[in-house]
Amino acid sequence: MSLAAEAFVSQLAAAEPWPENATLYQPLKEDQILLSDHASSLAVQAYLRMCGLPVQVLCRVNSEFMSPSGKIPFIHVGNQVVSELGPIVQFTKAKGHSLSDGLDDVQRAEMKAYMELVNNMLLTAELYIQWCDDATAAEISRPRYSSPYSWPLSKILAYQKQWEVRRKMNAIGWGGKTLQQVYEDVSQCCQALSQRLGMQPYFFNKQPTELDALVFGHLFTILTTRLTSSELAERVKSYSNLLSFCRRIEQTYFEDKSS
Amino acid sequence: TGTLHSLDPLPMQGPELGIQADDIEAPEVEQEPKQEVLENKNVVVQRVHIDGLGRTKEDLLTYEIAEVFRANNLIDVMRKSHEARQKLLRLGIFRKVEVNIDTSRGEDALPNGLDVTFEVTELRRMTGSYNTMVGNNEGSMVLGLRLPNVFGRAEKLTFQFSYGTKETSYGLSFFKPQPGHFERKLKKEKFLFINTTYSKTGSCSFPMWKTNQTLKWEGVWRELGCLGQNASFAIRNESGHSLKSSLSHAMVVDTRNSSILPRKGGLLKIHQELAGYTGGDARFLKEDFEIQLNKTLYWDSVLSASLWGGLLLPFGDAPTCIADRFYLGGPTSIRGFSMYSMGPQSDGDYLGGEAYWAGGLHLYTPLPFRPGRGGFGDLFRTHFFLNAGNLCNLHYGEGPQAHLKKLAECIRWSYGLGIVLRLGNIARLELNYCIPMGVQSGDRICDGIQFGAGIRFL
Repeated sequence: MSLAAEAFVSQLAAAEPWPENATLYQPLKEDQILLSDHASSLAVQAYLRMCGLPVQVLCRVNSEFMSPSGKIPFIHVGNQVVSELGPIVQFTKAKGHSLSDGLDDVQRAEMKAYMELVNNMLLTAELYIQWCDDATAAEISRPRYSSPYSWPLSKILAYQKQWEVRRKMNAIGWGGKTLQQVYEDVSQCCQALSQRLGMQPYFFNKQPTELDALVFGHLFTILTTRLTSSELAERVKSYSNLLSFCRRIEQTYFEDKSS
Repeated sequence: TGTLHSLDPLPMQGPELGIQADDIEAPEVEQEPKQEVLENKNVVVQRVHIDGLGRTKEDLLTYEIAEVFRANNLIDVMRKSHEARQKLLRLGIFRKVEVNIDTSRGEDALPNGLDVTFEVTELRRMTGSYNTMVGNNEGSMVLGLRLPNVFGRAEKLTFQFSYGTKETSYGLSFFKPQPGHFERKLKKEKFLFINTTYSKTGSCSFPMWKTNQTLKWEGVWRELGCLGQNASFAIRNESGHSLKSSLSHAMVVDTRNSSILPRKGGLLKIHQELAGYTGGDARFLKEDFEIQLNKTLYWDSVLSASLWGGLLLPFGDAPTCIADRFYLGGPTSIRGFSMYSMGPQSDGDYLGGEAYWAGGLHLYTPLPFRPGRGGFGDLFRTHFFLNAGNLCNLHYGEGPQAHLKKLAECIRWSYGLGIVLRLGNIARLELNYCIPMGVQSGDRICDGIQFGAGIRFL
């Protein structure tokens, strides 16, 4: 978000406390939502639970188009609409809730760097596997993405989305990668995260931060989503401290629901 | 302004490259050495040629000229040739058609044999056109490119680009003489939210007794999106894609002497649309009607009464889509209110309604003191009007009694006077002084002077 936009959102947000009827929108869970969207949505849900802010999850077929930025998830709080984890963190901060207040500047910079790593590596890898791998695209991504629509709109929208993602992959230089290379990138990213986490309960020792929420969202989704091949999940599973990290967060914050 | 696309489609035809029917050329007939009554002379049409064909395929034309062979006296030949010439011109692929009737020559010529030759000049392969158009409170400029007779069988391919105050659209249309009129239209309308549509329609129209019936199938891909952060959540909720595949039927009985400022006669238009049973996401039944009655009174004044109404009935659990609902208000419907600014709304954005009715009563008189009489002044009329109507959503669980009650309460109405200018036979401009009444909270009014331009007025 630009500085001006941030300031604007902060001003509006600060005015009112967090209401009871805040809602989070995502695509339909059973039939429609894809790996990358589910990871992003789970990250936001984890973050809000860590802050102790109540939010109701609503599933809508058109949530991608309702979102002001076109990305999932987005929250509707009062009469404001904010999408994606970064702006949502800013928004809650303006209302006085923050998880990273206890960090000093160095740690904060480190946290931002690791969040960038997750976004650039894990999220991009998820998108690549979903849309650039022909088998996954044909068996899982296109059917799920187009499930709410009738023919021929379903076909048109699914191919349009695939084309759009592939174009983006080419633009950032992932177009030429093979699936194995992508799995390698995922492994390297997990290794970096695993090393940073070490034996601590959370990335910055005792208290969870937005980085924990983001990592949990992605890793947990990867571990629990069935794809055409289980290699992605296997790569994550090979880091046992990440596994126990996910389990710990699930038990602490999500024990009333099964994702 | 929080407006949405207009209810009525813009008429998408510009003026045809008019081919005026001329009188038939005098046929050349060899003079008989002595005078005979030509009508009684039996003739046989031996050959009918068409000269001047370039890309047109002959088989298309054999049907049009077949009748000529059946003529058996000279007057009949002339008449049937004339009719055939009209039919050829009506195909819209020839610039000129001339008829030549001559006695047969050649070895197998009969003494009373005739040769009929149609000399045709085909239209150019591609023609361009530029028109301006007036729709409901909007104006636009239309550039067209037309390819008549693309493949030789009178297929017409038209491409139109329309740029207007409210709408920019591109249209590609393909027409074959036998029923089948396919149009692909892409409309991008920028209001509070963008409504982009691709549509494909096929329709056929035919008269039946005193009515004109039209059957149409329409496939439309709609994409609704919000323009900015400030759209109300109710509008945001409607964003996304939907596909509408619908069959519709319209019946029109029009006994008026003119469609703009009629002096007598009436209009009855009933239209229904059923969506969802031929595919698509949208599922509903939509009914609407329009009635107008006109009567000339003393001193060249005309009393006109009109009534509009409509109902949208969704099937299944899904709510109705904002693009299918009715809108009311504006200089072309209930004057004194802003365009489409009546009825259910959220944060200033109007969501439309599932049922509406609107009525108007007008008294048209010539301009006071009749300036410019017999000329320009005849295009103007003053009118005194009374408009009333209501728009709301219905909960279909309740019975019809509850619905009627709902439509009858909180009626908006307005009255006033103004000047009407007639534009050709298609459109009219109005400048009115309006006094809106019965305004409900949430409606946006435009009291005082209001200007309107359009083709369909209440």
